[in-house]
Amino acid sequence: MNAVELHNLRKVFQLKKGGLFKRTATEVVAVEGIDLAVARGESVAFIGPNGAGKSTTIKILTGIMRPSQGTASVLGLTPWRDRTALAYKIGAVFGQRSQLWYHLPPDDSFELLARIYNLPKFDYQKRRKILIERFSLGDFLHTPVRKLSLGQRMRAEIAASLLHAPQVIFLDEPTIGLDVIARQELRDLICEWNKNEGVTVFLTSHDAGDIESVARRVVVINHGRVVLDDRVSNVRQKLLRAKVISAKFQEQPALLELPGVTVIERTGYSLKLEVDTVKINIEAVTSAILKAGRVLDITIEDPPLEDVIAHIYNQQKGKDSVAPLCAAC
Amino acid sequence: MNSLRKYAWIAFTAARSNLAYLGEVSSRLIFLTVILYIFLRLWQDTYDYSGTGKLGDFSLNQMLWYLTVTEAILLSGPKVSQLIDEDVRTGSFATHLVRPMSYPLYRLAMCLGERVVRFISNMFAGCLVTSVLVGPSSLQWSGFWFLLLALPLAFVLDFLGNFLVGLGAFWIEDTSGLLLIYSRGTMLIGGVLLPLELYPTSVQPLLKILPFANIAYAPARLFVNPTLTDLLLVLSRQLFGVALLGSAVYLVYRVAQRRVFINGG
Amino acid sequence: MNKFFNWLLLAGSYLRLNLRSHLEYRGAFFSQVIAMILNNSLWLIFWSIFFKRFPVLHGWDFNDVITVWGVTAAGYGLATGLCGNAIALPTLVLRGQLDAWLMYPRALLPHLVLGKMTATSWGDAIFGYAVFVLFVRPDLEHFFLFVLFTLTTTVLLIGFFVLIGSLSFFIGNAESITEQWRFSLITFSTYPATLFHGGVKLLLYSFIPAGFVSYLPAEALKTSSVGLTLITIFAALVMLGLGFAAFYLGLRRYESGNLMDLKG
Repeated sequence: MNAVELHNLRKVFQLKKGGLFKRTATEVVAVEGIDLAVARGESVAFIGPNGAGKSTTIKILTGIMRPSQGTASVLGLTPWRDRTALAYKIGAVFGQRSQLWYHLPPDDSFELLARIYNLPKFDYQKRRKILIERFSLGDFLHTPVRKLSLGQRMRAEIAASLLHAPQVIFLDEPTIGLDVIARQELRDLICEWNKNEGVTVFLTSHDAGDIESVARRVVVINHGRVVLDDRVSNVRQKLLRAKVISAKFQEQPALLELPGVTVIERTGYSLKLEVDTVKINIEAVTSAILKAGRVLDITIEDPPLEDVIAHIYNQQKGKDSVAPLCAAC
Repeated sequence: MNSLRKYAWIAFTAARSNLAYLGEVSSRLIFLTVILYIFLRLWQDTYDYSGTGKLGDFSLNQMLWYLTVTEAILLSGPKVSQLIDEDVRTGSFATHLVRPMSYPLYRLAMCLGERVVRFISNMFAGCLVTSVLVGPSSLQWSGFWFLLLALPLAFVLDFLGNFLVGLGAFWIEDTSGLLLIYSRGTMLIGGVLLPLELYPTSVQPLLKILPFANIAYAPARLFVNPTLTDLLLVLSRQLFGVALLGSAVYLVYRVAQRRVFINGG
Repeated sequence: MNKFFNWLLLAGSYLRLNLRSHLEYRGAFFSQVIAMILNNSLWLIFWSIFFKRFPVLHGWDFNDVITVWGVTAAGYGLATGLCGNAIALPTLVLRGQLDAWLMYPRALLPHLVLGKMTATSWGDAIFGYAVFVLFVRPDLEHFFLFVLFTLTTTVLLIGFFVLIGSLSFFIGNAESITEQWRFSLITFSTYPATLFHGGVKLLLYSFIPAGFVSYLPAEALKTSSVGLTLITIFAALVMLGLGFAAFYLGLRRYESGNLMDLKG
């Protein structure tokens, strides 16, 4: 049995606009024919720009919303029909929804969750012990959540979502706002849980690092459709290889001609380059930049996800893939 | 004169920024309809039962209008002591001291500006409801004028009381309890729910001379029973109350200020 | 029956946690409780002054007013203490916060209402029981009857709050109208029933069911009427049922997603 199976999923919203007398009904298609199959134990990154249909799909998968057409099955259950039964088997960490009570220590919230999920006392104690150890919660288990750092809180949140041993877990932007170390710790934990416990991970993130570290497969949604469904390693090769470097100089910089480097913008004393990291490494490019003139400021960024997606979409349509990725930089 | 203009400007700004209250009239209407209707029924039965046309100097019509005005005054009170409490706790009180402006006068100006708008809104809604319920038969134009004359000092008095409570923040952690005792207490001894004439005769004289009687009871009474002598009496009592509470505020405020200078806000 | 018992256990856990959460700020909690008691006491003093001047009002005296106050305050305190989220329903629906609750393996409504407790509810509850015991001085039989009525009022209020809160599934922002409606109900419930006749009386046994909240209980307590007691219990259960029905009707609308703006 697959963890998740979507066939021809379609969701249309009826929006009524207008004032008291003249109300026009418009149809908004949020999801248009999504087909997806996720095997158990997989780790999938589910990405797309805002308004692409991501949240709608996840809401349907978790049973919060009913689709207009098509079928969905999560662990063999129809989400919106068997919501309660499904709820025992899935976990979620969403931005707006904290499982932990703000003024109380995580331990109290765990106790409540055990009650909500009807966990037998013995199972709960055992599970709790494992989670505390593996997520290193021991130090702050009895500290009120409001006094915890964001990293500690996220660890506790994810541990809380795993308390009832779900088979599928939905994570929405789990590392947002975290510092580099906390971020890596969290990614490692999610990976470990995915590999050792076989929990299917459904990750939504705008962070390329999250996607690369945690997921092995990436599904890109845009305009309500799947525009890319491939292994992360393939995508990394094709698309996540671009970096954008912006540099400000004290005077007019010398011309830069390097393989794999495209000049996106050149105004006065500043320079914006797109670098294909497969063809040339960042170190080489930055040293070339530093040699081109006296540098006042230098920034190295990933191209915005929207552009990556647009690029993928354009690629799908058979356009020229040599064109720079960062069209709207 | 320059400083007067400054505070007047503050009051106008406070009034302007609270114009949204005029829109609150609709929700006030439901609130006031419920309580004024209940009061009407309560007093109709009471008047019927007692068999007299007047109770404590009020006819039924006057009684309803009295309660309308006291409610309008009561509901118009902006958060004075909470603001001061907050200023003290967050430390922004100290920054006010640095400015070339008297903090109490600043707060007074803001309070009056807001209160006037809220009162107008409440009074409008109240008049609507009560006109429908009992009609304006007992009203006189002089009532409106006398009320108008009695309101400014009434508002100032209420401000002074609340300000004192707010100053409590310098000595106690949470003034909300103190505020509640003060606000409910003044409602009671200030004749908001019941004209003082209907209180036990033993306490009436005392209650009538307290400053709190002149915040709601006295102006409302003037509205339904306007006599020149009463107006002059109320105004002089209000002035006396302002002098009394004003001195209290002045003294306590000085001590409080000293606390700031010693403890650094 | 098993399910109900399970729910009681859940309610117990929520009550414990809600209380613990409030007690993190001990000072504020106690001052709010006392504030509510003081607030209600103002009315006590008002009525004692009133009844001193006018001893009887259509057959109702001070003790009768204490009774309606006691039942209403205690019932309201218990309702918002245990099921405080019932009054927050419009806000939850408006802000799309139902989703978080939908993800739990529990029947939505009975779970959802447990999520919040207002601090002042304890003040109301304590006040309600205290004034009845102190002023009316009931015998044991009447005291138990009183407790029964506080429970029927609790159930009725929860059902009522859910019923009017479910409006938000249909008309959008229902926060202000539910607040006014709730206020009207509680206010009417604390006054003698004999004040109201005709059309208004009909209103008080239907749209603003103050009659079932406190008038019938007060009458039943005075006359020890089994009939009135049964009617009150029945009304409470009917209201609960109506609340459930309205909620789940509205939930279907919510689930089809046509309620709100799209987000991502």
